[in-house]
Amino acid sequence: MSLIQIKDLKIHYPIRSGFFNRVTDHVRAVDGINFEIEEGETYGLIGESGSGKSTTGKAIVGLEDATSGQIIYKGHDITKASERRKLKYNRDVQMIFQDSMSSLNPKKRIFDIIAEPIRNFESLSKEEEKKRVQELLDIVGMPSDALYKYPHEFSGGQRQRIGVARAVATKPKLIIADEPVSALDLSVQAQVLNFMKKIQKEYNISYLFISHDLGVVRHMCENLAIMHRGRLVEVGTREDIYHNPQHIYTKRLLAAIPKIDPKNREEHKAHRQAVEKEFLENQDKWYKNGRVYPLQQIGKSHFVALPQDKLEGGR
Amino acid sequence: MLFNKANKQNIKTEAGEPISLPPSGFKLVLKELLKDKFAIFSILVLVLILLFTFLGSAFVSKESLDTNILDGLMPAFSSGHFLGTDEGGKDILSLLIVGGRNSIVIGISVTAISIILGLVIGLISGYFGGVVDDIFMRIIDFIMVLPRFMIIIILTTIISNYNAFTLILLISLFSWTSSARYFRSFVLAQREREYVMASKASGSSNVAIMFREVLPNISSMIIIDVVLGIAGNIGIETGLSFLGYGLPASTPSLGTLIGYANDPVNIMSRPWVWLPAVVMLLIISYMINYVGTVFQRAADARQRR
Repeated sequence: MSLIQIKDLKIHYPIRSGFFNRVTDHVRAVDGINFEIEEGETYGLIGESGSGKSTTGKAIVGLEDATSGQIIYKGHDITKASERRKLKYNRDVQMIFQDSMSSLNPKKRIFDIIAEPIRNFESLSKEEEKKRVQELLDIVGMPSDALYKYPHEFSGGQRQRIGVARAVATKPKLIIADEPVSALDLSVQAQVLNFMKKIQKEYNISYLFISHDLGVVRHMCENLAIMHRGRLVEVGTREDIYHNPQHIYTKRLLAAIPKIDPKNREEHKAHRQAVEKEFLENQDKWYKNGRVYPLQQIGKSHFVALPQDKLEGGR
Repeated sequence: MLFNKANKQNIKTEAGEPISLPPSGFKLVLKELLKDKFAIFSILVLVLILLFTFLGSAFVSKESLDTNILDGLMPAFSSGHFLGTDEGGKDILSLLIVGGRNSIVIGISVTAISIILGLVIGLISGYFGGVVDDIFMRIIDFIMVLPRFMIIIILTTIISNYNAFTLILLISLFSWTSSARYFRSFVLAQREREYVMASKASGSSNVAIMFREVLPNISSMIIIDVVLGIAGNIGIETGLSFLGYGLPASTPSLGTLIGYANDPVNIMSRPWVWLPAVVMLLIISYMINYVGTVFQRAADARQRR
């Protein structure tokens, strides 16, 4: 039994136009996706900007209303706000935001920021609360004098660690990490990621790791889903995706990773260009009217969004 | 001078002050204020006026405000009446003190009511957006197109037991709308920030997010609106009293004093009756406005000097 199941989740935004401002069309930010996250695993959700991955994450935390579909947690569909309140859902599912500066209230001290979820979900005495916040700061390697400082007094990496501390404050089961390190420089990225891994081991937390950086995802995630135009194009284990990519979009993402191999530079360049050419010229082969095909199983854990004929004959 | 400054800073850090405010906070406003010599002067003058009117009114004797025809129209600097008397023999200095106090109290009360009302409605409207925002904004639009002076004048004549308190409510009825608009625009900008979302994910209620998360972030806007609002509302009260529809005739205010200038004889040959009130009103409005613009400058990084 998995921790959380996302079933045919759709999030559409209306486009209004015309004289009477009627709804004329929809932006299909998330257009029917399915996946499950197991307890204690890190599930990677990868895609370009605007592919709907952050929207998916926000819907799972409950910050975005689903148009249709279900998110099943502990046997309850939590797309309804009333269910979430009843379950104290956000005690178990928390979020780490991309922009650490704007996700921490500039007028609040670190102590109050980290204590906010604790105050909302648990009734601790003032001293217990302080002890807990102190512990959390310890876990993410922040000095204890950080308690009474304000967010602007910290560097980007430190702020993101404060964001991590806030997310784990109520000892959640699942944390949605929405591009948690893409705003940080490389050395600090590793530091924050290592803290996240350490916390995962300590509390047995699952992560939904949303990212566009395939290098970071490889370091963090066991199972991956590649998202494009609001739908999943390829789902599989790390092995499946990195060593046996089937969909052109996955290949394109992988080709975009810079390789430290100057001897074969020309070869890599040719490969990259070939993939890009295939992606641009043969859209019809990979997409149906610009929409991603339904997923097909091609291996034990490997799914890819390709038409039936392409699967059997094309390879 | 330079050495002194550095020394001061050292002492501050040595004292180990753990509290430091974010750069957009009150400290910055204070810094901006202290940099501006004229702003300091303005505040000093305002404090003096406040002391003069509020403390002074404790020393004003009841008789000096009573009608006493025999002492009517004494010019300024005559014995016993430093600024002279009006037609009824009331002491102008006493009238100025009590009237100034009344005007300032009304200005502050109206501002307090309209800011609180405007803040709550601006927060709700900006935070929830959508239909709630539309409804509030249409109501505000409607109130704003009404000719407020006309309506206040008509209402003052209709209401039977009319006093300073009803006047405050009447003016507030119309002046909260601009505050609500002003605050709404800042809340709209704050709502999109991720800390609001983080707070929601942390399980805080909408009311808690509005008042504990968003409100502190628009605090500098509130200071600006309060300061500029006081100057504006004193002006409105004075205008109404000048026209004879403000405070009842028995209650002196800056407006009723300036109203003496309605009489062409007064304006030509008895300047002591109306001039002090005019000067006081000018000083109050100008100084408050100047301090307000300094606050505005401090709150907006682009205008900072």
